Amino acid sequence: MHRTLILQKDHLLPLLRKLRKDNRVIAPVRNRFGDTFFTEIEDFDNAAIDLDQQPQTSLKSFFLPQSETLCRYVTGKHPESGALEYSFHAQVPVRTPTVYFGVRSCDLFAVMYTDLVFRRARERDIYYDRRRSDAVFISIGCARPFADCFCNATRSGPFLDMGFDLQLTDLGDRWFVQIGRPRGVRLIEEWPAFFTLASEADRKAQFQVELEARGLFRRHVHVDLAVKLLQEQPDHAAVFAELSRRCQDCGGCAYICPTCICFNIADLRLDEDGGERVRTWDACTFAGFTRMTGDCNPVDGETGRVRKRFLHKLLHDVQKHGRPSCVGCGRCVNMCFGGVDIIRCIEMLAAEGENGSGGRW
Amino acid sequence: MHDVLTVCCYCGCGCGLYLRVEGGRVVGAMPSRSHPVSRNNLCAKGWQSFAFIHHPDRLTRPLVRKKGRLHPVGWDEALDAAAQGLRRVREAHGPDRIGVLASAKCTNEENYLLQKFARAALGTNNIDHCARL
Amino acid sequence: MTFGSGAMTNSIAEIGEAQVILVSGSNTTETHPQIARRIYEGVDRGARLIVIDPRRTRLARHAHIHLQIRPGTDIPLLNGMMRCILDENLVDDLFVEMRTENFLALRDMLYRVDIAQCATLCGVDEEQLRLAARSYARAQRSVICYCLGVTQHVCGTANVRSYANLAMLTGHVEQEFTGVDPLRGQSNVQGACDMGALPGVLSGYQPVSDPSVRARFERAWRVELPTTPGLTVLDMTHGDGSSDDAGVRALYVMGENPALSDPDLGRVRATLAGLDFLVVADLFLTETARLADVVFPAASFAEKSGTITNSERRVQLMRQAIDPVGSSWPDHRIIIELSRRLGYAMNYQSPAEIMEEICMLTPIYGGMYHDRLDNGEGLQWPCPDRRHGSTQYLHKYSFTRGRGRFEPAGHVPPAEAAEEEFPYILVTGRVYHQYHTGTMTRRSDLANREYSRPLIEVHPDDARKLHLRSGLAARVVSRRGSCVFTVRVSERVAAGHLFATFHFAEAPVNLLTGSASDPVARCPEYKVCAVRIEREA
Repeated sequence: MHRTLILQKDHLLPLLRKLRKDNRVIAPVRNRFGDTFFTEIEDFDNAAIDLDQQPQTSLKSFFLPQSETLCRYVTGKHPESGALEYSFHAQVPVRTPTVYFGVRSCDLFAVMYTDLVFRRARERDIYYDRRRSDAVFISIGCARPFADCFCNATRSGPFLDMGFDLQLTDLGDRWFVQIGRPRGVRLIEEWPAFFTLASEADRKAQFQVELEARGLFRRHVHVDLAVKLLQEQPDHAAVFAELSRRCQDCGGCAYICPTCICFNIADLRLDEDGGERVRTWDACTFAGFTRMTGDCNPVDGETGRVRKRFLHKLLHDVQKHGRPSCVGCGRCVNMCFGGVDIIRCIEMLAAEGENGSGGRW
Repeated sequence: MHDVLTVCCYCGCGCGLYLRVEGGRVVGAMPSRSHPVSRNNLCAKGWQSFAFIHHPDRLTRPLVRKKGRLHPVGWDEALDAAAQGLRRVREAHGPDRIGVLASAKCTNEENYLLQKFARAALGTNNIDHCARL
Repeated sequence: MTFGSGAMTNSIAEIGEAQVILVSGSNTTETHPQIARRIYEGVDRGARLIVIDPRRTRLARHAHIHLQIRPGTDIPLLNGMMRCILDENLVDDLFVEMRTENFLALRDMLYRVDIAQCATLCGVDEEQLRLAARSYARAQRSVICYCLGVTQHVCGTANVRSYANLAMLTGHVEQEFTGVDPLRGQSNVQGACDMGALPGVLSGYQPVSDPSVRARFERAWRVELPTTPGLTVLDMTHGDGSSDDAGVRALYVMGENPALSDPDLGRVRATLAGLDFLVVADLFLTETARLADVVFPAASFAEKSGTITNSERRVQLMRQAIDPVGSSWPDHRIIIELSRRLGYAMNYQSPAEIMEEICMLTPIYGGMYHDRLDNGEGLQWPCPDRRHGSTQYLHKYSFTRGRGRFEPAGHVPPAEAAEEEFPYILVTGRVYHQYHTGTMTRRSDLANREYSRPLIEVHPDDARKLHLRSGLAARVVSRRGSCVFTVRVSERVAAGHLFATFHFAEAPVNLLTGSASDPVARCPEYKVCAVRIEREA
């Protein structure tokens, strides 16, 4: 089996339509208000697949929904002792084979990171795992980074070597197709008529696109330097004090971040006899996230909370997994109310390292 | 899952947000990127604006007070009781002894109808809301 | 009022382009986060930020000048600033000449003002006051944002007029990026006013006392309309409930919770309990609904369509996402059915049809048809007809009322002052994670987790004096009532002041507040109330 193929652009939609027969197909779709989300496509004739803008959200909500019912619980009395008893009835998601099309490298890389947390051998999250094992990824290497992208600095793009089932590269009139995981192989085997073998010239053209893409980044973010500075000395009190002065505690950065996976679990009583256990997105920048019974808060004060989030991304995950967990998608950059984003943090750390002075805006 | 663009129900900024709907339930809220106010972010309340919608405390049936306690009843009975009570006060004391409080959390259409209701159906200008509170 | 309409003159996006941003009586980062975002953007672009607030809010920490005035001293502060502007020849003479009236009255009043005295009265540094006046007046594009910290005083109307005076004196009104912007607290408070949910005006601020206005509505509604302005909310909720009282005997309440939100709660609850008949439509069994004779389950914002109008006059479409929960109904359906039973038939197929009627009868909403609003961002009023687009900022060539009128005002002391028995001044307001009476946010898990208890903010000096620590319970007592809060020692409040919110039914702060209100706007004085605080065992 050759690892590189060609898919004519005209044949992309027909291929997706075929895949739709046995799968959910999820792709970035621009709605009539101009916003682009990953959306399930039901009607291919009336969906505007948008590969020109960065989708506003990552794939996170498909694997870890913003809110989901984990189980229902029923309370009762033990027949003999009369003690209060709970019985739980898990609501595991139904199997739905799903093709994720048009996924960018950063978002796919983020899924690989969340796998590290939710699919560890002994602590598998059944909800995440079920959805994840039903997923096929057709990713797109970024020939043209978006305005705030810096995945080159986090080494999570613009093209990937692994993780995808198929990775497409735009060669003008045709897609260059690289095959990754076994499901990609199976997909090609099932629909061989759509693909032709790539020529040496195609491979050269793809290499050229990849090379050029690396030169097109507009933001030059010194992620490695920031990691090094934090490893030397994780305090940087002035930088984090300045950043936290502007944090408005909305949690937006964590919600939008493809690798932020903090969640909260709460029991919602529905009636006398029981209720639901619901998991919702949470954010480590909220005071309540770390507050314990009796009002003790190990991460107290806004500076501590903002610092904790950035240290998690840039230091703790390096210590634990060998690399920062920021994937350089740039989504948190333009959305923060106070401009407290990871690029600003890295720049302020770098500036402090350079001239030794405290972080200034 | 599908997303429905609407407006946040909290403060007067008026962020454009998408409610994420799955199986007839609202399961999330997302800011609109192209909206002139929200510009891809919401405040903490906005991100959580879906949370109370399916709360078990929601009133799901009309209630009417009988013998000092509120009892669940059907819509016809509740509407009849409300109309009767209002009519009784109007007949006994005149329309200007009835007051109507509109809401800064309801739509323009509803506020318009309610002031029309006060003025045309009840016959009083006693309509106000909590703009000052 | 001074200009002729009560709404933000600018758009939210314009605030970020101003050169001087003056924020007064607004905890913007917590109550209007999107506006605070624009203020930060402005500051990053080099704008000067002036904050007038008795509390050291988060925004005040970013301010170039923070005038930490005593509560209720806006007018002397502004008079002092205007005197400074007058003395230093920073008045926009051309604007004053061409666009305003009654300037001489203001000037004569200002000549009697002594800046040093004003500064002392407000408790601010005189030089800071002058500095603020100069930077506001000298910049080409200055914008004023104010919120309920300005209006919720016995002199609320005069406060607002004084800010308008300041803006007109320096010509900071008619252009892009410069104006006077009241920030509206709730999602559709602007729209509820626009729609005539007010005792004196029909939709579009058309007075009920004007026979020609009434005639137009009478023709459309086919009914004779009452001629005299009605009662305000305070008049309705503060009657004594007796039969010879001039107040109301029956009340229909749609989505409000006066039994927690209104001042002098003891009286409100007595009035509500004494009513002959109370009908409430709400999402939840609120404190008010518990007292009702009939409760209607209403649909939430996700379960109905219609429009709401934000602070910047933007009329936007709310779209129905799901079916009404349980057998709840949208309020418009409830009103239509109830009206029919009272012998006045209303026949509308949809909210869009209601809006068509609004468009016909309301000049500022003349072109707000639902099909036009279905564009993702709505339209800003005034929009008189279908061909008219959005109006980004108001008063471009003339004020709504023609010429802007200067209304000189003198200092009006708050209804209550600190005294021996009640030595502290309590200021009430909102916090970030809660909303109004908490009906919705307290049922939102994360929001409620972040701010779950009624707190009272106490300055460290006072805390030391009173032997209070964060986390302790403290009882706050006013002339009208008392409630118990958890203490939070904080430098956000000035010494001698306390701050509490009204979101919590378990500590209804409005048991303490008084019902003294502004004589014109009838806006209660929530921002000043004399109390004492003592440790609770």
